[in-house]
Amino acid sequence: MELLRPSSVEELDGGGVLLHGGTEVVPLLREGLIDAERLVDVREVVPRGIRNRVIGAGTTLAELETEPAIPDALREACRLAASPQLRNMGSLGGNLLQATRCWYWRLGYPCRLHGGDRCHARDGEHREHAIFANEFCASAHPSDIAAALVALGTRLRTNRRELAVEDLYRLPDENDRRTTTLAGGELLLEVEPAPVEASTYLKAMDRKRWSFPQVGVAAARHTDGSTRIALAGVAPIPWRIDGPDALDAATPLPRTEWKVPLARALVRRALAQLA
Amino acid sequence: MARLIRTEKEVEGRYEEVWIVVEEDPLEQWPEGPLTVVGRPAARKDGHERVRGEARYTADIRLPGLLHAAVLRSPHAHARVRRIDLAPALSLPGVRAAVGPGEAHGLEEEAGFAGAAVAAVAADTNGQARAAVEAIEVEWEELEVVLDPDEAVRRELLTGGPRRDERGDVDGALAEADVVVEATYRTQTVLHNSLETHQAICEWLGDTLHVYISTQYIWGVRKDVAEMLGLPEDKVRVVCEFMGGGFGSKNGADEYTFIAAELAKRTGRPVRCALTRREEHTSAGNRNSTIQRLRAGARSDGTIVALDGEFTNSVGWSGWSAPTEGPMRMLYACDNVRTVTYGAQINTPPMKAFRAPGFAEGTFGLECLIDNLAARLDVDPLELRRRNYADSNEGTPYSSKNLADCYRLAEPHWERRHEVRARSDAVWKRGVGMASQIWYGGGGPPSYAWVRLASNGHATVITAMQDIGTGTRTAMAQIAAEELGLPLEQVEVVLGDSARGPYASVSAGSSTTPSMGPAVRAAAADAREQVEDIAEQRGLPKGTPIGEVVGLLEEAQILGKGARGPNPTGMTVLTFGVHVVEVAVDVETGEIVVERVAAIHDVGRIVNPLGASSQVEGGIIQGIGHTLSEERLLDPATGRILTTSLDAYRMPTIADVPEIVCEFVDRPDEHLTNLGSKGLGEPPIVPIAAAIANAIRDATGADVHQLPISREEMLRALREAELRAREKEKRGAPASV
Repeated sequence: MELLRPSSVEELDGGGVLLHGGTEVVPLLREGLIDAERLVDVREVVPRGIRNRVIGAGTTLAELETEPAIPDALREACRLAASPQLRNMGSLGGNLLQATRCWYWRLGYPCRLHGGDRCHARDGEHREHAIFANEFCASAHPSDIAAALVALGTRLRTNRRELAVEDLYRLPDENDRRTTTLAGGELLLEVEPAPVEASTYLKAMDRKRWSFPQVGVAAARHTDGSTRIALAGVAPIPWRIDGPDALDAATPLPRTEWKVPLARALVRRALAQLA
Repeated sequence: MARLIRTEKEVEGRYEEVWIVVEEDPLEQWPEGPLTVVGRPAARKDGHERVRGEARYTADIRLPGLLHAAVLRSPHAHARVRRIDLAPALSLPGVRAAVGPGEAHGLEEEAGFAGAAVAAVAADTNGQARAAVEAIEVEWEELEVVLDPDEAVRRELLTGGPRRDERGDVDGALAEADVVVEATYRTQTVLHNSLETHQAICEWLGDTLHVYISTQYIWGVRKDVAEMLGLPEDKVRVVCEFMGGGFGSKNGADEYTFIAAELAKRTGRPVRCALTRREEHTSAGNRNSTIQRLRAGARSDGTIVALDGEFTNSVGWSGWSAPTEGPMRMLYACDNVRTVTYGAQINTPPMKAFRAPGFAEGTFGLECLIDNLAARLDVDPLELRRRNYADSNEGTPYSSKNLADCYRLAEPHWERRHEVRARSDAVWKRGVGMASQIWYGGGGPPSYAWVRLASNGHATVITAMQDIGTGTRTAMAQIAAEELGLPLEQVEVVLGDSARGPYASVSAGSSTTPSMGPAVRAAAADAREQVEDIAEQRGLPKGTPIGEVVGLLEEAQILGKGARGPNPTGMTVLTFGVHVVEVAVDVETGEIVVERVAAIHDVGRIVNPLGASSQVEGGIIQGIGHTLSEERLLDPATGRILTTSLDAYRMPTIADVPEIVCEFVDRPDEHLTNLGSKGLGEPPIVPIAAAIANAIRDATGADVHQLPISREEMLRALREAELRAREKEKRGAPASV
């Protein structure tokens, strides 16, 4: 295996698995869930730090959790993510691209996300899984930060294009099992949250720290008076809803029913905080 | 003088009758209360070594020429090896040897759980060994998988006969009771997750096998290995200087030891076999799940007249059926008690002892049921416990019991409940709960120690025991220092090597201090008496400090030896305690925060109050994980383990740790040894789950019935409580016309 350390985006075209903090890629390599002959360390390439509202995708979560200039929802999402050690290493861009924590996927079961023909979680152990869009694959998206950025109406710039953060994600289907729209060789460079009047991120965990969201709720009141809400841990990708009543349309599995009242309570609470 | 006696030996609630040679224990106990060294807080003697990384754990040992073993484990919960081909593994680079089913103890053709060991490979590096294991070709014949413990009981798939016990007339008493409460409680499977994974290094030097192993029982490993390999015991040397936790899961030699021994024999080189964290989650033992179907009957004055319990332990493929019924039989004075316990043999990883096996689970069920009863009777839970105080252990006198003092010390903490409840608001409800603790922890003979006293006034305690991380070196040094009248700094403890010291007891069943402490004191007393003898011969005045006397010795040394005396006959040695817990529950989201735990324990004399409070804190934190967040999950279709990593299996973090207040009765058990000390390793985990659950009920009115009390369970119980309240309101409302 070789490790490259390119110093410009142009040098990226040789392929390989991109690596920043390594907190996700290294475990996936170790578990054999991804193969790589070549690792490409992009820390020299991806912008790091904040200017105006633009945040480099290479900024670590630790740097963001103490940053007064970013919206509350994002700062809080960073603060509540992972552990201090992981936040010191993990980058914002890498966080957006992390894979699900579904145990079947992580253990390499031939599930739909791995190209197989069934969702093992639906008939199996699924107490931590999705309550929306879970027909094809019941995995739950683990990123607190993705939910925060979606609620914040964030624009994302890659080395190829500019898009809304929510357009980075797609629901997997029979023909395409991916959960992002990222092309090969495409690299996240910067994000720019829209200006907001107020925002918040609330997170339910099964211990106080170092836990992926059971349910995470990001809400932001935008300058045009609109409110955007996005949830983590409830669908295979970050999930936008209009308000607490949208939870009436949830399609929980038998052991994820508990997430519905939990999400409802957190959404109400988040909205109350914005008022 | 040595004497042969027949006695009951107890380890973790399991009794066996044994003949043993015991030495008399003529020493008078020290007076109650803090002495010069004993009873005073002492920092760990090996603290600096540990935090500087100098302490050498088994995982740190690098012998010249060391090979690494990896184990092929069954992916199936129940299957038989039809054909296995090790040749592809042996042809890979760095591979030195491979063994298959039947070639080392623990490698078996029939795999009864996903994670059972089947074959193993030794190679120059760990990576080569793991790659080689993947290359082994196996043809499996899949067999029927049984995962449901109730089904196993119905089909009589049991690890032994059902354990039945009855005193009095339970059915009659239940029929006449004023109030009967009934509930089913379930506890989950949890994992020990020792920081240092299970591992051993085996090396043959001549005809002697040297075993470096992370173990709670040096002498048990020596015996197991000698027996399995057909060696005389003195041809097996077992070393464990430092270890990174065991919690009951490292009480003997396991397959990794036998694999390392066989591969070492075949290659002529030392071999390490260390479990990975993944294997630690599948193949290193667990606290098995239980189902407890319980009933209690009482008179309206609060007298408990009947207790009835049916317990199912999901033992797994092998292991033993722990005394989950113990607390129901032993905690309260009740004339009519009936229990039946089934050990379900199912295709899940085998249980191993885990910090108060059975009692931690059984106390959750019983003490929740007792609070349920208190609510029905409208009696204060502490008062109900006092009214049913047991004066004997099913008819046998206690060597000592100060649970009443624990209750008295708990009063100020219990009184806080009014103020705690008053701090509730619309969302966060606060409450206080309690639960009692009962467990063994008396230790027993045999156990021996030597003390070597040099002319510089320094003493060395030598015994081939192990320190499982509880601060044993410090406590043993304190006992010797007290007896010799030396400062703690002048006493060292040498342990951890079967070739360097006499037999010592297992560090399990809360037995280290009560088993070893008296032997160390006896050895120190033997040395002290020799010194006094010399002083008298030299005409020195009585009471001359030991240092001054031995200063005359030059190269000569004083050698003392001591043995653990017998346990009191006709008495039961038990530990007692009570926890009072304060919780806050977010009734909208089901979040539970344990805010404060007051732990009061009666374990006889406290040798090191600092070490003792560490034990209590550790037990409470581990118990909070058991209560709120930890659960090993299986795929219900295949029986494969899903929670194989530390992010899927959730132990508490430091942020989850509440304020912990630790108190001890600290009164020597006058019938127990020259020390009067009992063990404390297990007691603090016993009552915590029930105390938390009872605090949740006090805060919210919700009745939780299973561990862990996840958000799912908490929200279910809250909804049920709300419906119950609404129903009650409807019934209570005046009928409208």
